[in-house]
Amino acid sequence: MTTTTDRPSLDDPRVQLDRDLGVFEPIPPYPTRTEREAEFYTLRDGEMLINMGPQHPSTHGVLRVVLKLDGEKVVDLDPVLGYLHRGVEKLCENADYHQAICYLDPLEYVSSLFCEWPGVMAFEKLMDVQVPRRAEYIRVLSGELNRIASHSLFLGWMALDLGGLTPILWSFIERDEIVDMLSALTGQRMLFNYFRIGGVNGDLNHEFLSRLGDWMSHATEQIESGQALLNENEIFVRRMRGLGTMDSATALRMVMTGPNLRATGVPFDVRRAHPYSVYPELDFDIPTRSEGDCLARYLLRMDEVKQSLRIIDQCLHEMPDGPVMAKLPRLLRPRPGRAYAGVEGPRGQYAAYVVSDGTDQPFRMRIHDPSFIHLQSVGVMVPDHLIADAMAVMASLDPIMGGVDK
Amino acid sequence: MDRAFKGRLEARFGERLLGPVRQRHDETEMRIAPGDVTQVLTALHDGPELRFEFLADLCGVDTGNDMQVVYHLWSETTSDWLRVIAEGLTRDDPRAPSATFLWKGAEWMEREAYDMFGIIFEGNRDLRRIYMPPDYQSFPLRKDFYLADDAARSPGGGVRPMERTHAPVDASVAALVRRSPGS
Repeated sequence: MTTTTDRPSLDDPRVQLDRDLGVFEPIPPYPTRTEREAEFYTLRDGEMLINMGPQHPSTHGVLRVVLKLDGEKVVDLDPVLGYLHRGVEKLCENADYHQAICYLDPLEYVSSLFCEWPGVMAFEKLMDVQVPRRAEYIRVLSGELNRIASHSLFLGWMALDLGGLTPILWSFIERDEIVDMLSALTGQRMLFNYFRIGGVNGDLNHEFLSRLGDWMSHATEQIESGQALLNENEIFVRRMRGLGTMDSATALRMVMTGPNLRATGVPFDVRRAHPYSVYPELDFDIPTRSEGDCLARYLLRMDEVKQSLRIIDQCLHEMPDGPVMAKLPRLLRPRPGRAYAGVEGPRGQYAAYVVSDGTDQPFRMRIHDPSFIHLQSVGVMVPDHLIADAMAVMASLDPIMGGVDK
Repeated sequence: MDRAFKGRLEARFGERLLGPVRQRHDETEMRIAPGDVTQVLTALHDGPELRFEFLADLCGVDTGNDMQVVYHLWSETTSDWLRVIAEGLTRDDPRAPSATFLWKGAEWMEREAYDMFGIIFEGNRDLRRIYMPPDYQSFPLRKDFYLADDAARSPGGGVRPMERTHAPVDASVAALVRRSPGS
């Protein structure tokens, strides 16, 4: 087995004795071990390394980025992950199929339903479970609500990272209304744990429906007035236009998905590209934009909110009657096999790959998270931008560190 | 399930396939040797009738007997997800070619597979640990890596030997892990 035994360890006292080692020192205290690392940590004349995070307020969690600067210009950057690593995949492999679902929630804590969804879908595929149609409609309905909540939070954070303090107060109004609705439906405000193998945990209830009806009556108007604060703000628009541009070929090479890919002009949406649940029966558009800059990514998300409202409206009109759970044994032992499921979340493709060995625990549970993929592409987008713009580019990709670090 | 797609794959990659192309639900699965990864992925990506330009996922799998690298691909030419399993990597020195020559974005997923399984991706420029600290020695998602407590074990799992934080060095690895689902 190839290990790193031949290299000095951080725990080796001899390594640490001959120099003052700061915890967040940007230069690695060990010999560089890859081509890329050697290239990054070699400084040319006039360049310097600056450490940002992991407690920096604009990194959306505990992201640490080592920036290589030339004056105020970012030459290169090296994200350092793992400050929030919990080993969710290993935990899922040591839990049974029902227990594993609750480990998926905290991955992306602002869009928890989309973290549960692919896991649950993959389990259902393994067990050949047919989900009742009412349950599928409820999943789509609650999922689209969650998407709007996530996108309105993005609007606030985006502006906050650029120094605008007002929009986050407005977007939290929206988000809180949806969160209260979902808490009436699921019993939890953020980590819903609502989807079950074979359906959902509970049927729609009166409180949820009355809150949803109230909100739908003014949602469009309220969302538009919130967006007008930024869409018509000349400072914001000028700052964002042409920032962090990416073309479609590079975006595909960086395996980006979701709004960040569609902002470059590729109309890839898992809901249409590989339909699941009841999305083939629903009527909605896939908005795309061709600019591929921060403004396009921002506007595209705002367009998606309108499509989500359309989907919610159709779900409420076409909601069938019937059970919300399939009949399943309490102890699930799927036959040995493999299943992959992907869904379109607010940030892109959330996916799960599950291998079963015939016991009641997943043998291998792989969780694919779009934030992880998108954060990687800041290394392509940010170089040659100013350090203040690096924040804006990072915010426009909307990464959530809970999902990045798993 | 796209039956015609299975025929196209078998015609195109006939001699490289290990075992038959399997289909279930909306997934098509092919198994190849790790040495063929570069050619097969290139053919899938560039072939005019295949055009798999979209890498949906890349991950490592430890079956207990060997290691696998699993690629999930999407193309508009078929309604199925395509799963390419590069199987038969040895547990002692798992090596596979990198996919970064086609998808630069595979770099971090390969770093993760290296971090969690110790799979060496030849051609990846930045193969270092991504989640665990740089001086960490183990590979946590391997099947011989035991969790320190058994609180997560379910009663349905039956009686299992007590978990150990360190597997005995001389015991054969295959005896310690659960039955392999892959082979």
